Amino acid sequence: MNKKHSKIFLEEYENKFLYKKSKTNLNIEFNRIAFIFFVFLVISIIFSIQLLHLGSLKKENIVKPLITKKNYRADIIDKNGNYLAKSVSSIDIGISPIEVIDKKRLLINLKWIFPNKNYKEIKKKLNKNKFFKFEKNISELNYEKIMSLGDKGIRSEEKLTRIYPQKNLFSHIIGQIDDDNNGISGVEKSFDKELKTSKDSVRLTVDADIQFLIREELLRFQRIFRAKGSAAILMDVNNGSVISMISLPDFDLNERKTITNVDFINRATKGVYEFGSVFKTFTVAAGFNENLIEPNTEYLNLKKKIECNGFKIEEYNDKTPTDLTVEEILIRSGNIGSVRIGQKIGVEKFKSFLKTIGVLGTIDFDIKEVGKPHLINWGKCKLVTASYGHGITTTLLQIAKGYSIVTNGGYDIRPTIIQKKLIEKNSRERVLNKGVSDKMNKILRKVVTNKEGTAGLANVEGYEVGGKTGTAQISKNGKYTRDKVNTFAAIFPSQKPRYILVVMMDEPKTNSEYIYHYRDDTQPTKGTPFNTAGWTSVEVVGKIIERVGPILATKYIQN
Amino acid sequence: MKKVALLIIFVLILATSLVKNSTKKIEDKIFILNESIRSLKVEFGDVMLEYNFLSSPNKLIQYQSQYFEKDLIKIDIMRIKEISEKNNIIELTDFIKK
Repeated sequence: MNKKHSKIFLEEYENKFLYKKSKTNLNIEFNRIAFIFFVFLVISIIFSIQLLHLGSLKKENIVKPLITKKNYRADIIDKNGNYLAKSVSSIDIGISPIEVIDKKRLLINLKWIFPNKNYKEIKKKLNKNKFFKFEKNISELNYEKIMSLGDKGIRSEEKLTRIYPQKNLFSHIIGQIDDDNNGISGVEKSFDKELKTSKDSVRLTVDADIQFLIREELLRFQRIFRAKGSAAILMDVNNGSVISMISLPDFDLNERKTITNVDFINRATKGVYEFGSVFKTFTVAAGFNENLIEPNTEYLNLKKKIECNGFKIEEYNDKTPTDLTVEEILIRSGNIGSVRIGQKIGVEKFKSFLKTIGVLGTIDFDIKEVGKPHLINWGKCKLVTASYGHGITTTLLQIAKGYSIVTNGGYDIRPTIIQKKLIEKNSRERVLNKGVSDKMNKILRKVVTNKEGTAGLANVEGYEVGGKTGTAQISKNGKYTRDKVNTFAAIFPSQKPRYILVVMMDEPKTNSEYIYHYRDDTQPTKGTPFNTAGWTSVEVVGKIIERVGPILATKYIQN
Repeated sequence: MKKVALLIIFVLILATSLVKNSTKKIEDKIFILNESIRSLKVEFGDVMLEYNFLSSPNKLIQYQSQYFEKDLIKIDIMRIKEISEKNNIIELTDFIKK
């Protein structure tokens, strides 16, 4: 028997693939709970970091979202926080009949909210199926009531209404906006972007009370002297902040009129004029700045008449002596003397001085309505006429700036109506030599106090007013006419000037009924003797200082 | 060790949820306060506008002539006096020194 032995071999199965624990491989042993905890840990760490980050943020670091609402416009306030322009949002309600769910029910509800409306008409409109305006400027309470009706057909439209509580008072400064909330003139135009985005009100440097008082006096004298227009600027000579700026005629901003009449031009900033003898102050100051003259420098044998390229120059007053000191030239407003000083300075230096004090060229100001002085072809004859203020034009605002620099110690200033733009007194730059202002202020004071001076009517007791008058004939179609521009630039107190008040009257006339009360013991007289600044603008300045002076002296004493 | 780690994770989750919850409440409060301030601001603005209009120099002069018989007078700066106190003695001096 072939016995076959069958053997069973049991071999241990050996898998060649061996899982080896390695530090670089992930542990495949998957622990679900640990994984969930891990995810939570990561999330909680992220949250914690975020919380810590938010907690550490400073208030000012958080970027304020810009307000881009179509119907938003920031308010404009004066120095004391009084509203000059305020936006009030109003809501208009319209009805789209097609979308109304239940017309009968809507009518009943509307009757309940607005009982005084003509519902026969409204019913007709509802049946016409055409959108119509139901009510304008509704109150917030009625708005809530009407919206709680929940009718799809009711449409609300938010509108911006700009209110000017001071009416005419700041018309030329504030300007106007159009129906699409875009500024079209004044601050409304030049600060359009800021007004649309700023959360805070835009604060101006002007004072509504002082503006009112000056405007009242200006209006009164415009009627007395039957002037075509007039303007006044009251400014701080040390920082250029404009406290008051008026141009007449003005207009009520709330009426939203389109003004095309050129008489409504802003005479304080846009109108470009020849201001006459007020320029003599600059001629003398330029001479002092160049160390060419002193107040007691004598000019002897001054001619009564001179001619330049056929243009005759003579003294306004025949009695003006032929021998005058520099001081006397300014006090008596001598034309020939000023010409001689101008000639001594020379074209280049005189031109450079006028540029330094900001009288030439277009002024950088906060509103866009600024005038551009006429270009000058400088030459010997132009220097002669410019030295006494003829043949050279500028704006009233630039006169105010020039006088401020000449009298404030020679520091440059930038006139501004925006509180934020005020330059600190310490960061001003000196542009004129030391001592120029001291000499000028003494002479300007004498123009008011001296018997021979032209501005005695402005010598208001207690204010030490100093200044210079200017009477200039208006040139029309290339020829000088009998119409005049009478200006007086006053500074006070002259020992250390704080304010400049410039008043300009455009085409004033004499008044035979007006009574002048002199500021010395002289008896009052009736009637304007001459159509000059000394009898018109100076009188206005005197009356204005009488009224606003106590406020300026007391209210602004701490500033 | 494992237990400590788990405990830390649990505490962190709990703390995060608590902080988040409390900040949410504060946020809600801030929102409500902001809304009330907004409406109060609007109201204040309207009242101020009315006040500015009624107390504007133009209106005051109108009321003065309407309700009072006497005219307003200009203040003479030379008559303004300054009050000062020194050692319990009140002194009056001229505002403008002559």
